[in-house]
Amino acid sequence: MKKPVTIVMVEDDDGHARLIERNIRRSGVDNEIVPFTNGTAAVNYLFGKDGKGQERKGEALVILLDLNLPDMTGAEILQQIKAHKYLKRAPVVVLTTTDDCQEIKRCYELGCNLYITKPVNYESFANAIRQLGLFFSVIKVPSAAT
Amino acid sequence: MARSGVPVALQIVYSGESKFLSVRREFVVSPDAMRRRAIGQILLLTAGFLVLVAVSTASVILVNKSREDNAWVVHTVEVENQTNALLLEIRRAESAARGYLVSSGPEFLTDHKEAVAAIVPELDKLAHLVGDNPVQSQNVTKLRSAVEARLAQFAQEISLIERDDRAGAAALVSEVAGGNMPTAIRDVADTMRVEEDRQFALRTANADRSQQLASIVTLAGSGLVVALAGLSVLLVRRSTRARDEAEVKLRDANLNLESTIDERTADLREANNEIQRFAYIVSHDLRSPLVNIMGFTSELDELRGDIFKRIAALSRAAASAPSIPEIAADSAEPELGATDQQLARDFAEALGFIKSSIGKMDRLISAILNLNREGRRQFEPMKIETNELIEGIVATMAHQAAEADAKIRIEPLPQIISDRLALEQIFSNLIDNALKYLRPGVPGHITIRGRTKLGFAIFEVADNGRGIDPRDHQRIFDLFRRAGPQDKPGQGIGLAHVRALVRRLGGTMSLWSELHNGSTFTITLPIAWTVSNRSENS
Repeated sequence: MKKPVTIVMVEDDDGHARLIERNIRRSGVDNEIVPFTNGTAAVNYLFGKDGKGQERKGEALVILLDLNLPDMTGAEILQQIKAHKYLKRAPVVVLTTTDDCQEIKRCYELGCNLYITKPVNYESFANAIRQLGLFFSVIKVPSAAT
Repeated sequence: MARSGVPVALQIVYSGESKFLSVRREFVVSPDAMRRRAIGQILLLTAGFLVLVAVSTASVILVNKSREDNAWVVHTVEVENQTNALLLEIRRAESAARGYLVSSGPEFLTDHKEAVAAIVPELDKLAHLVGDNPVQSQNVTKLRSAVEARLAQFAQEISLIERDDRAGAAALVSEVAGGNMPTAIRDVADTMRVEEDRQFALRTANADRSQQLASIVTLAGSGLVVALAGLSVLLVRRSTRARDEAEVKLRDANLNLESTIDERTADLREANNEIQRFAYIVSHDLRSPLVNIMGFTSELDELRGDIFKRIAALSRAAASAPSIPEIAADSAEPELGATDQQLARDFAEALGFIKSSIGKMDRLISAILNLNREGRRQFEPMKIETNELIEGIVATMAHQAAEADAKIRIEPLPQIISDRLALEQIFSNLIDNALKYLRPGVPGHITIRGRTKLGFAIFEVADNGRGIDPRDHQRIFDLFRRAGPQDKPGQGIGLAHVRALVRRLGGTMSLWSELHNGSTFTITLPIAWTVSNRSENS
């Protein structure tokens, strides 16, 4: 049996993180959510201290990524993930307030699998996250290593 | 997300100012000095000219005077000559008479008669010559009487000789020779000569003096003119030097100015970019907490429902605890007491205000972000059939126009080279405004006119709508500001956006409007806009 999918959430705003988590839970997804509030911690978790990513080998990950982080941009993390030998297959969902089309284009070019802007309207926000939760419950995620 | 150091560039913008002013101040003082110098030169030249005129006049006068003086000298000599000639004739008559007396030769008689005949004309000539001098005239009168007496004696002598009274004639001749008549003539002649000598001396002296004066005046004048010319040359050289210096300074200043302008332009561009980034960051970062506020407000809203449901259930349970089971409270809509209902309404109202405010704030932030994004968009100049473009815009607003009972007329418009999207936004905003702010009950007439002038295309969007109070003419171009009754939806962004676009396209925009009397927005755009018309932030 495969290991259950872990959701890695990189979000610097605690409030946003809480709202996202709640709405994911409301959609019935009860996978483990690992939250990070800054880029460095997330990078350490994903790639390990040595940057080889041995720790995550064999895990199935979905990564929720905010672009505006205090210590680095989400795009940098995205780039590293998509360039990494184990992690590049993990779906990356960019979830951010930026709706600049340049930014959106760039993220898709870097290999993000989904780009979602956080609507200020909470109904839409909650809805978006719940749908994302539903999406998580049906997608097949490859494990991070072969 | 910590970002700092944004407003630094705003201070740099004016750093070039002091240099600028100092350069300009030099030029403010210089023309004054130059004017003074020019006046000095004009005065100098005038003085030189006047001196020259004076010297010339004086020379002419003095030369005339000396010629006159010389003429007088000559005149004196003439008078003397004439006197001598007269005396000579008298002597000749005398000696001829004597010869005739001695030899009775007819040639002596002829000679005598000739001499006598010459005497009176000579005398007349003399009288004419000295007519100007009263003293000499008197002398001539005296002389004339003496000469006449003498002529009478001559006539007597000759008649005696002809009557052959030689002894009588000889006696008369010797008597005359011993008498005072010749002496008188001589005396008068001498007096006249002396007088003329005196006059000669006087007139010669006069002539000498005027000649001397003339040469002195000429010399002095020439000296003065030469001195003035020298001074002029000096001044001209000095002003030439000053001009050269000024030219050098001007060149330097121009170079300086250019570099100053470049610097300032760079600073301004930097500041502008900084402001753009600032606006972007601020509005973007404001959004993040806004998501939280909205999110948790909605969560609170959910909680409110749960709480009041619970309160209703609990109060009913308290009222009739034994009869109704607790599960039934959840299924049926629980009734709240009057006080609780009021609380629920207050709660809902507060949440409603919070939510609507957040919604408004979100719209404002989105507007700023949109403006900002537009501000960063690169324009692509292309040839635009303006009529076609505006017809397209009007077509998309046909429904709106029909609803507002408005007619839109498009007059022939000039073609221009500009950014299509920007023009679309400009005109659709203006036409949209015109449709939005018509007078209720009055059919709208909106006219779009255009013409060209000096490389610029001038477009006018005129309506017969409610108009704008002149006090608000400036305000309506500000972001988030609106005028008149706030009965139409809008954020107060359209005109700010339009003006920003017009400016970026190198144009200007103005407004004519009266309250209740329609508005006309005038847009002046360069006919051929190129990126270099107004270099944009990279």
